[in-house]
Amino acid sequence: MDTFTQLTLNGLTEGSTYALIALGYTLVYGVLKLLNFAHGDVFMVGSFIGYGILKVLGGAGDPQVPVWLLLTLMVLGGMVGCAVLGVAIERFAYRPLRDAPRIAPLISALGVSFFLANSFQLMFGAQQYNYGIFFLDGGSLYTEGFNIGNVHIPLIAIITILSAFALMVALWLLVTRTRTGKAMRATSFDREAAAMMGIDIDRVIVFTFIIGSALAGAGGVMFALRVPTAASIGFVIGLKGFTAAVIGGIGSIPGAMAGGLILGFAEAYIAGYWTTRWSDLVIFSVLILFMLFRPSGLLGQAGIKKV
Amino acid sequence: MAAAPLLELRGVSLAFGGLKVVSGLDLHVAEGEVVSVIGPNGAGKTTLFNLITGIYEPDEGDILLNERSIVGLEPHQINRLGVARTFQTLRLFLNMSVRENVMAAAYGGTKAGVLRSMLRTPGMRREEQEIRRQAEEHLSFFGERLKGYRWDQPAYSLSYANRRRLEIARAMATGPKILLLDEPAAGMNPVETHEISELIARLRSEAGYTILVIEHDMHVVEGISDRVVALDHGIKIVEGTFEKVATDPRVVEAYLGTKAAVTK
Amino acid sequence: MSQPEDLQEPSGPAIGQDEWVARHGERRSRRSGWIGDIEERARRAPWWAWLVLFVAAFALLPLVSHDGYVRRVAFETALYMTLALGLNIVVGWGGLLDLGYVAFYAIGAYGYAMLSSPQFGIHLPTVVTVPLMVVVGAIAGFLVGLPSRRLIGDYLAIVTLFFLQITQTVLVNGDQIAGHDLTGGANGIINVDPFHLFGHDIAVQHEGVFAVAYLYIAIAFFAVVYVALHFLNDSRTGRAWRSLREDALAAEAMGMPVNLLKLMAFSFGAATAAFTGTLFAAVQTSVFPLTFSFALVITVYTMVILGGQGSLAGVAVGAIVVNVMLEFLRDPGDARILIYVVGVLALAFAFGRTRKLAVLLAAVVIFGFVAHAVAEAINPDWVAGPAANGFDQALSNWVIIPTELANWVGPVSYIGLVCLALALTLMSPRWRYVVLVPTIYLGTFVWENVLLAQPDATRYIVLGVMLIGLMILRPNGLLGERRVEIV
Repeated sequence: MDTFTQLTLNGLTEGSTYALIALGYTLVYGVLKLLNFAHGDVFMVGSFIGYGILKVLGGAGDPQVPVWLLLTLMVLGGMVGCAVLGVAIERFAYRPLRDAPRIAPLISALGVSFFLANSFQLMFGAQQYNYGIFFLDGGSLYTEGFNIGNVHIPLIAIITILSAFALMVALWLLVTRTRTGKAMRATSFDREAAAMMGIDIDRVIVFTFIIGSALAGAGGVMFALRVPTAASIGFVIGLKGFTAAVIGGIGSIPGAMAGGLILGFAEAYIAGYWTTRWSDLVIFSVLILFMLFRPSGLLGQAGIKKV
Repeated sequence: MAAAPLLELRGVSLAFGGLKVVSGLDLHVAEGEVVSVIGPNGAGKTTLFNLITGIYEPDEGDILLNERSIVGLEPHQINRLGVARTFQTLRLFLNMSVRENVMAAAYGGTKAGVLRSMLRTPGMRREEQEIRRQAEEHLSFFGERLKGYRWDQPAYSLSYANRRRLEIARAMATGPKILLLDEPAAGMNPVETHEISELIARLRSEAGYTILVIEHDMHVVEGISDRVVALDHGIKIVEGTFEKVATDPRVVEAYLGTKAAVTK
Repeated sequence: MSQPEDLQEPSGPAIGQDEWVARHGERRSRRSGWIGDIEERARRAPWWAWLVLFVAAFALLPLVSHDGYVRRVAFETALYMTLALGLNIVVGWGGLLDLGYVAFYAIGAYGYAMLSSPQFGIHLPTVVTVPLMVVVGAIAGFLVGLPSRRLIGDYLAIVTLFFLQITQTVLVNGDQIAGHDLTGGANGIINVDPFHLFGHDIAVQHEGVFAVAYLYIAIAFFAVVYVALHFLNDSRTGRAWRSLREDALAAEAMGMPVNLLKLMAFSFGAATAAFTGTLFAAVQTSVFPLTFSFALVITVYTMVILGGQGSLAGVAVGAIVVNVMLEFLRDPGDARILIYVVGVLALAFAFGRTRKLAVLLAAVVIFGFVAHAVAEAINPDWVAGPAANGFDQALSNWVIIPTELANWVGPVSYIGLVCLALALTLMSPRWRYVVLVPTIYLGTFVWENVLLAQPDATRYIVLGVMLIGLMILRPNGLLGERRVEIV
């Protein structure tokens, strides 16, 4: 039972991070019908920004500010930095191709992904960077917390999960309750019609990228709080985030959240009960099955095309 | 005793989500006939074509070609059985040459496999020449409009009217028994429209095709049709000769609204 | 010519005039000057002209250079050219974004390795293994293509990418499948047999130098594939593939079995990759799972797109350009002067042989010397970096090359360069001209101090930028036809 609790906790923590990435994919796909391959690398950049802020503020061993402020600044910094990056990517790599055949922005996205990952490798090397949160405040982030049975739920996990959920709820409110959100949804249904209704498509798209990238940035920082980061993590994380988005139904926001959690749990249970060696394989295979037999995912809607 | 119709729809229905696009549709086209389908936008005309050509599958009912059901077949299989179409919005292979567009459509009736093609066997070369000859023959049907020098030009360089003609030539190359023409006169000026009417007549008289046409331009419909079928909201409302259908109050109402029908 | 009678006889064009008018599109698209002449001649050349050019170049190379390194690079280039041909079928003709293409290359290589090495103790003759791997590749391509029936563009790309990931995972972990060592795991398979043809083992090294025989085999592979694909393209299958790419729905409606054609495209591409893989394994005498990575996919894609998707000769040219460039970037050494030559040529191309170009170059040079002097004045260590040879010495008087770089300098200068370059695209031409000067100088600084320090990352950065730039500026590549798309 304890193993189950521990694995569920792992799944929840990982899953909430995946959900953040999946949301970014879904948002951009909904508005642009483009799979933003570079999204995983934006995530990676976020984790590096967090690291930079951490170091500037003294590092985990000797922080110059209270812990809660430190973490908040790191996450915010990641969000802001990635938002800027996302806007730049959209502006320079995707916007010129908005009317080109579908393959063109996809290939451009591949180029951006490659460019980001290797640029960071150029600047910071290929090695891993550890936040060292374990040492922060005497390890309190790990020792504090509460217990379920014999399993200790560390504070860091609680913070991660709650923050991710808070962001997701905020996003949900934004999309469903505000005018901008409505504009986003309209654009995702029919871009031309939305433009004719007076919606500024460029601004909606930029806004979508800001939100999506900011979420990825937050996810990146939270991810790196637990696992060391490196310039090359973007690729696999991006694949997993995309898997989560498709499982949940691409284009659906609750779907992305659900997909992220499902993926997190799946990974945790497979790795825990079987082996980590083949967990990736199982996940990829599951994704392929989904795409074959239920491409609209769990919560997505099959589109109707007019011929 | 009349022969069985070449194409027949029996009680065909199709719905998208909650919207019924076609409802209990009965339609038949006898061999050698020219039948026009008219109706306001959204009446389900192009959907009808999509159903016949296998792009959509009906929820209910049956579609028969030469008394054989074609429901559930892949579109290319239906084409092989004798149904060819043009598209309302023109779907040419723009970056291929005019001749290649027509030659490509001969795929289904030819059989040189990949191995023979890679080795360029004499049999394959003979077949290639035949495909080319037939394509040029189909293009020549359009006379001066699609003249020789145009055959090597990319399809995107053609004028609008010529593109429509090319689409018809391409459909002809698949060797069909029945041609489905989706708004062949759309966007044409009066001269070109007149040419299209003559063309459709020639398609039947010289080339022997059976033709089902969707059209909005009533001059064309009047000039070419043996029979007219009027649709509205996916239901057949009237069928008969042009005179009968054009003056039917239900048709007038469908196009112009209730008041117009009453005042007529 | 617009008299009333013409209205009654619309189908009577004025002979000579109508055709001349109709052909004006061709005339307008022809570029002026000698470039236009060359392009025109290239377009009219018979299809085999390019092939003869390639084969002759590669055949004559060993006579020109006895350097083993050069021959090795030529061999790899020939391999890439064949790989690019295969990818062209899937992407250029079928319009299918297959991101897992390299997995079939791996299948061919590993298959050969498993059948011709101590791994299982099997040593099948080459003339059996190679055709066998072609067939296995074709089947694998068919199977992977099966999901493509229901998937459009982006989804297909992801599924194929996942297939690549699965292949890599299997290869890396394949030393423990149910207790058996199938693939040698992360250490791969070594001691793979060389090719055995005409009764002789063909050694990879001949007197310490790369064997010319393999160069010839590689170009023979390329030629065979090239001819086969050309004939296939000029047949009903090729037309059907290209129709499928243009408009799959219309192709289906015109009697072409689109799903089957997609599978065939996948199959042929995979078979070509597997074919190339066998030769790769034989010459490497070993296979490792990490070779067949996403980075390799990007590399081949860049070759295809740069050369011009859809054009056989084009993708071969793309392969040559990209591989030579990558090789150059691996360790520029004495060839560093080339990058400056290329840079000047690029500027010349952009500005033409005008006064503006001369002024720009002069401004850059002057700016450089000034900056250098200022830097030297502030701190001599800033400009005292190592200089290996004569050119470097002259250069180090111009570019700022410090003895050692503080940690923050690299990232800041690089990011600064990227931001400046992006900003340039947003400026008006006048400002662009002015800001270009410091940008170029910063570029040389970054090149000398940052990019050269990490050639691995640099080569892939260049590829990434090329892909983005090609898609935006010239999606039809070097030799591809300009396409008209309706979206």
